[in-house]
Amino acid sequence: MRWRLWLLMAPALALLLAVFAVPLLHYLWLSTQAQSVLTGLLPEPIGAQQWLRLWNDSRFWQDTWQTLRFSAASVSLEMLLGLAIALLLDQPLRGRGVLRTISLLPWALPTTVMALGWRWIFNDPYGPINRLVAGLGLPAIPFLSNPAITWMAAVGADTWKTTPFVALLLLAGLQAIPADLYEAAALEGATPWQTLRRITLPLLTPYLLIALLFRLAQALGVFDLIQVLTGGGPAGSTESLALYAYLNAMRFLDFGYSATLLLGSFAILLVLCGAAALLWRGNSRLQGALR
Amino acid sequence: MIPPRALRRWVLLLVALLGSLSLGLWGLARERLEPVSVLMPAPFADATADLVNAFNRRHPRIALIVTRGPLETEAVSDLAISSLLLGESPYDLLLMDVSWTPKYAAAGWLEPLDRWLGPKALDDLAPGAELGNAFGGQLWRFPLLADMGLLFWRTDLMEAPPRTPAELVAISRRLQRQGQVPWGYVWQGKQYEGLSCVVLELLRGFGGHWLVNNDPVLNSPAAVAATSWLQELVRQGITPAAVANMGEPEALQLFQAGDAAFMRNWPYAWAELNKPDSPLRGKVAFTTMVSEPGEPHAATQGSWGFSLLAGSKHKAAAVEVLRFLTSAEAQKQLNLRWGYTPTRLSVFEDPELLAANPALADLQLALAAAVLRPLSPVYAQLSDLLYRNVNTAITGERSAPMAMQQLQLNSERLLRSSGGEG
Amino acid sequence: MARLLLLLWSLGPMLWQLVSSLRTSDALSGLASGGWTLEHYRQLLQGDPPFLTYLLNSAVVGVCSTALTLALAVPCAYALTRIGRRQARSLTLLVAAAAAFPAVLLFLALLELARDWHLANQLLALSLPYAGLCLPLAILLLQAAFADIPIELEEAALIEGMGLWQRLRWVLLPLLAPAMASSALLVFLFSWNEYPIALTWLSRTELLTLAPAMARIAGSSVYTIPYGAFAAATVLGSAPLIALMLLFQRQIISGLTQGAIKG
Repeated sequence: MRWRLWLLMAPALALLLAVFAVPLLHYLWLSTQAQSVLTGLLPEPIGAQQWLRLWNDSRFWQDTWQTLRFSAASVSLEMLLGLAIALLLDQPLRGRGVLRTISLLPWALPTTVMALGWRWIFNDPYGPINRLVAGLGLPAIPFLSNPAITWMAAVGADTWKTTPFVALLLLAGLQAIPADLYEAAALEGATPWQTLRRITLPLLTPYLLIALLFRLAQALGVFDLIQVLTGGGPAGSTESLALYAYLNAMRFLDFGYSATLLLGSFAILLVLCGAAALLWRGNSRLQGALR
Repeated sequence: MIPPRALRRWVLLLVALLGSLSLGLWGLARERLEPVSVLMPAPFADATADLVNAFNRRHPRIALIVTRGPLETEAVSDLAISSLLLGESPYDLLLMDVSWTPKYAAAGWLEPLDRWLGPKALDDLAPGAELGNAFGGQLWRFPLLADMGLLFWRTDLMEAPPRTPAELVAISRRLQRQGQVPWGYVWQGKQYEGLSCVVLELLRGFGGHWLVNNDPVLNSPAAVAATSWLQELVRQGITPAAVANMGEPEALQLFQAGDAAFMRNWPYAWAELNKPDSPLRGKVAFTTMVSEPGEPHAATQGSWGFSLLAGSKHKAAAVEVLRFLTSAEAQKQLNLRWGYTPTRLSVFEDPELLAANPALADLQLALAAAVLRPLSPVYAQLSDLLYRNVNTAITGERSAPMAMQQLQLNSERLLRSSGGEG
Repeated sequence: MARLLLLLWSLGPMLWQLVSSLRTSDALSGLASGGWTLEHYRQLLQGDPPFLTYLLNSAVVGVCSTALTLALAVPCAYALTRIGRRQARSLTLLVAAAAAFPAVLLFLALLELARDWHLANQLLALSLPYAGLCLPLAILLLQAAFADIPIELEEAALIEGMGLWQRLRWVLLPLLAPAMASSALLVFLFSWNEYPIALTWLSRTELLTLAPAMARIAGSSVYTIPYGAFAAATVLGSAPLIALMLLFQRQIISGLTQGAIKG
């Protein structure tokens, strides 16, 4: 009986191994090989040199910082806005179903499609925002040509696209909270703010955690949006780790270093998501103890 | 007597049989044809469509098929690279930009052409067009079209074009002050290959170089002056700040709308600006890039040429195609119908062409001023460093000397590490 | 008020695309006012290859990946609910981690796999990595659904002498239909939208799926900036998905929320 269950799982597990485990192991090997246009695309063992190069590569650290900045900003915006939208959709309003569907639309569209759309919206000087700005007699906003602004434009586009996903997850959490808890709170004369702090947020915690971890992991791997919207510019100020690794493989034909970069990004992802999960757990324990 | 319904069924069956038989025969006949497949960026695929038909008519045993690639240079390279990396590349010939060739050759993807075209292959090429095809002692590419950076200027706004950076600034300022144009000069300032071309022209114009004896000299006073000048253009409002995200089409859009007095672009813009519905028709001329007194007016060479892929199974037929498409006759037709700049001297000097296209002589002069980007297998990295760092100066992130210092350090490190291995 | 804002925020950018796609190029770059046209759509639909090819390719890949994912995920999820708590727990944790993994980090190794196994430039082969990437989510969703089915039902079927396959086919699958529908839709959405792997696995223009095709259009023309064509492409590229969302919003939403509750 047992072995038959394993047999049922075998095809799925095999494919999972092939798609997730094999590549990571392959990177581990490739990161110790020089395989680039200079070696005629053939692997040559060079030990830990590429890891040293990664450590000394200021562009890697710059991209790490930029990826973290992008992730932190877009994930926190998405969580806040997502919570607000979820609370709004949880109200017994007219047309709630329609509103819910419409607000989910941005999430369903292909990232490259909407990134292209945003490029046009952010256009200087012919995009809609800059036309509006020009109509007011103000100077155009350099959405895509100023390093201090472009990364925020990317955060804006990402937030637009993925907030619905967060909102929906949180809405599911809200609807799982028993209504009598709210009734009891109302009987005791709790303000809406108190209800939110004391009932809604604590019970929503697992959902917030799932949304946070999932979004954080995805944001740290941001690629489509950046490649199409800014191509990493201006002045490399929006380049993400994934884009740098992609450039190394497909433009510079340096596969050994590309693999090293991909593993480096993976390590950062592990550390951050692990830290987020641990922090959250420690925090909720602490709160439990205080209560 | 066969009942009518059964008859119909038989007829149908017969038709189906005959149909499949003839399809099969047709397929067999097609099998005999030797297929040659070429990848080109979309505009060139459109321009060569008539030539391809002519070739197929004249060579009944070869079937020439052109794949229309993406429109943008880097996207075509990405497509070619991914198909080569995936193995079993479906192409025999690639139409290549001059800056990719060393990388492809080093990766072992190209077949040297000397054996196929003979030692005198490059003899007919116009000065400037022969650059960037042969290196490492072998011929890797044969140029189809020449391309070089030009400075476009408005004939309705000034008598003569500026020849020095200071003149360009002075004229722009005057026109802007008079309210004739909102902006003076637009160029390619985005973080991409086009910016490297812009910078190379100015490097030479200020008396500097990119590499000397394979060593970068990018923090030289001349190089810093060139970058500072670009930075100043933005700071003084002669160039819009949006230039930091401008490629060729964006610059052309702004210039064609009449919003700038000068533009740096490639010859295709000439044809575009003189289209019947263009607002600037007849109001534009071009020359070479400005330079400090005594320094050359340089034009970055950006020619397109055919390379034969090492993995091709139809090399002889592919070389036949290459010869035909780069012939004087073909180049003449491409210039007459599409305005593309030829690479052959005999075409430049063709009286019929000169009569139809007076700008050709000027183009030949500009081509003679052509300068080449470094021929290196790691050119993509070198150029990436250059445009990223110069872009930091254009956006005002860093001062020009600091940006060039950083660029010099990074370029040295790159060449040292690749020199050791390669 | 808040509702209006939400509507504007969600629909505004899409409406701007719709409007842009119908304006003439001159109107877009401010050279002329007014001017409405269907030219951009004509240009796209008659392009080489026509835009519909990309939509069709994406649909083919989407359907195949969905079928493959479900075929692998259903037995796996079933086995996970029956295999005993300890193993199931650690396996589920791994699967959940894989579900959050950003797929782009895998592109280089998958590219080499495609080359070594001659899978490149084949639409059907592309469903292999897609199924692999979607499996974690599908397994989690279906596992939650299996866990909801009372075990007595299956025991009754066992007593009637039904084999494993019969039990799955006649007893469990019908009860699983809603969860399967929602996971199918999510997998389809993923495959429709996936970019980095399609970008590296497909190099033939006529085989491109929507996402890389769009990015290539973004590579833009040397002549003029075809923003009208961009906008028309975004409209055409999103229309099928919007239709899908409107038709199946309940299943998609319940799929997402189920995953959250049980995950």
